[in-house]
Amino acid sequence: MKGRGLFFYAGIYLLFLYAPIILLPIFAFNDSTIIAFPLSGFTTGWFAELATIDALHDAVRNSLFIAVLTAIFSTLLGLCAARAATRYRFPARGGLMTLIMTPLVLPEIIVAVSLLVVMVQLLDLRLSSWTVIAAHTLICTPFCIAILNSSFQNLDASLEEAAIDLGESRFSTFRLVTLPLVMPGIIAALLISFTISLDEFIIAFFLTGSEPTLPVYIWGLLRFPQRLPAVMALGTILVALSILLLIVAEYFRRRGVARAGKEDSGGFL
Amino acid sequence: MTDGARHPIVSLRDVEKFYGSYHALRGISMDIGEGEFFSLLGPSGCGKTTLLRTIAGFEEVSSGHVLLDGQNMDGVAPNRRPTNMVFQSYAIFPHLSVAENVGFGLRRSGLAGDEKARAVDEALAMVGLAGYGARSAQALSGGQRQRVALARALILKPRVLLLDEPLSALDKKMREQMQSELRRLQRHVGITFILVTHDQEEALIMSDRIAVMFEGEIAQLATPQELYRRPVSREVADFIGVMNFLPAEIRMGSGTAVEADIAGLGPAAIDSAQCPGALRPGRAEVGLRPETMTILPEGAPGEGHVAQGVVAEQSYYGDMTYYVVRLDGVDQTVTLSMKNRIGRAVLEPGMPARVSWDPRALLVFSG
Ligand SMILES: Nc1ncnc2c1ncn2[C@@H]1O[C@H](COP(=O)(O)OP(=O)(O)OP(=O)(O)O)[C@@H](O)[C@H]1O
Ligand SMILES: [Mg+2]
Repeated sequence: MKGRGLFFYAGIYLLFLYAPIILLPIFAFNDSTIIAFPLSGFTTGWFAELATIDALHDAVRNSLFIAVLTAIFSTLLGLCAARAATRYRFPARGGLMTLIMTPLVLPEIIVAVSLLVVMVQLLDLRLSSWTVIAAHTLICTPFCIAILNSSFQNLDASLEEAAIDLGESRFSTFRLVTLPLVMPGIIAALLISFTISLDEFIIAFFLTGSEPTLPVYIWGLLRFPQRLPAVMALGTILVALSILLLIVAEYFRRRGVARAGKEDSGGFL
Repeated sequence: MTDGARHPIVSLRDVEKFYGSYHALRGISMDIGEGEFFSLLGPSGCGKTTLLRTIAGFEEVSSGHVLLDGQNMDGVAPNRRPTNMVFQSYAIFPHLSVAENVGFGLRRSGLAGDEKARAVDEALAMVGLAGYGARSAQALSGGQRQRVALARALILKPRVLLLDEPLSALDKKMREQMQSELRRLQRHVGITFILVTHDQEEALIMSDRIAVMFEGEIAQLATPQELYRRPVSREVADFIGVMNFLPAEIRMGSGTAVEADIAGLGPAAIDSAQCPGALRPGRAEVGLRPETMTILPEGAPGEGHVAQGVVAEQSYYGDMTYYVVRLDGVDQTVTLSMKNRIGRAVLEPGMPARVSWDPRALLVFSG
């Protein structure tokens, strides 16, 4: 009896979680400007309309630019932090790592407001894509550290020592042994931080200048009801892309675990 | 086989190592000869790996010096030392093929591609893995990984090969096979091997000389025979093979004559050469190896030194039987081993046993 109750609970949970997302493609292909049942007919017209909105294209370009740079910066930072945390012993290592990881659990609105204060009031920066990149790097780095930490922990330290023992320098050892073995983790970190940055709204909303990111642009579109089906179409594309990226990221993470010949200690998926 | 006869390739001079306040190596000084098969033997945590990594250059000495071929190695990085290491985990690069693993160290050799390939083939053939080059390193058994690690280290023709418990991950059969193979390989290439092991039998079988380590110190450095026959202390005697310890009373007679009165065995005349330390009258312990005692057959005449007892335990090993005999009159047992010959009955627990022993086999450890 107890098992059935849990099963029921899980079913309800999944329904609430995914029903809105399933509604996205349904209305994206519905031939009506009104988002309501019953459905009136099938069309791909909303997707075609997306191609004609120039402001949307600018927002997409801007978001991609921010997401790519965020992914690169936060993965590089994550790489350094994870490497240091797994290979070197230094004072207050535990405390320092906790500090670095806290943005993971801080409410984003707090992060956004405090960053706005710091950047505008204290540093007197002009809001632009770069301020968004800086903020996104801050929130993505903990994810990258978490992923790369597990990559480095799965990497037997004697592999690096063996390469040095066989005559390689520290740098060439990193290039020939460490990098190839943690590469799956690096790719996973790049993909995850790219996805987070692409989807992120609150911080981008606070910190963008004159050029909105895609989520900020979509939020602006909601004021125009006739645009709603096009937003649904855009949402469908984004959901599909996000799922694809997560699957690819997880694939690389698992391959990394298999390659290092270790037990899977669980990832994000 | 002592180091005096050989040119020392590795010299340690008062090597000390601290991990924080933990004193891991305590004043280690020794010379290891060119072409020697040398073992570092000791219980877990005694500092064997630390000493090996100090020679390889992965650990810096806190004080003292490591000399390789007469050259002081202070501040010399592992990649600049004429040593190569076989790691306990083998450290086979999982993203490379067997041939790429074995040829890894040749990247900086300046050899042409076909010369490298030939060197790799030779190295693989040497460890009995000819034709395995194209395989993925992950598709190998434990024994094969071990061989790849050996080939990878030996291809660089190091002056010294360092092996950290290379056989401990293998099953018993495989381990015995690799022991003789390693020994044969070492004689073939003539390179100095320094083997870390906690298995005293393995050290005895394979080594020219053995350094026994306890708690960061060398307790004894000797050939296998010396180590087994003349351990310098009770601890070494206890660690190498099986040794029976019995309390005894030492009495000095006139001249050089010394007598030991051993609990359960009785009195015996001994020689001062049988005592590794200073021979003092009074309480002491004597050590006796199991194979130096025998159980006399029933009715056989008991000459020399015979003690009466009862079989307490018996373990049958096929070729040998080990007996634990409780000696009459004292709360004391001795372990002894007997070859299983045709016509010799295996005794069962509870049966009486007359134990014949030889005072010449006694070792005396004064307290
Ligand atoms: N990096 C380190 N930091 C602090 N202590 C260490 C470090 N490496 C080793 N030790 C300590 O030094 C001592 C000797 O270690 P070592 O690894 O040399 O032992 P070992 O003889 O090889 O033992 P085993 O047979 O278990 O491998 C141990 O007590 C260990 O805890
Ligand atoms: Mg060890």
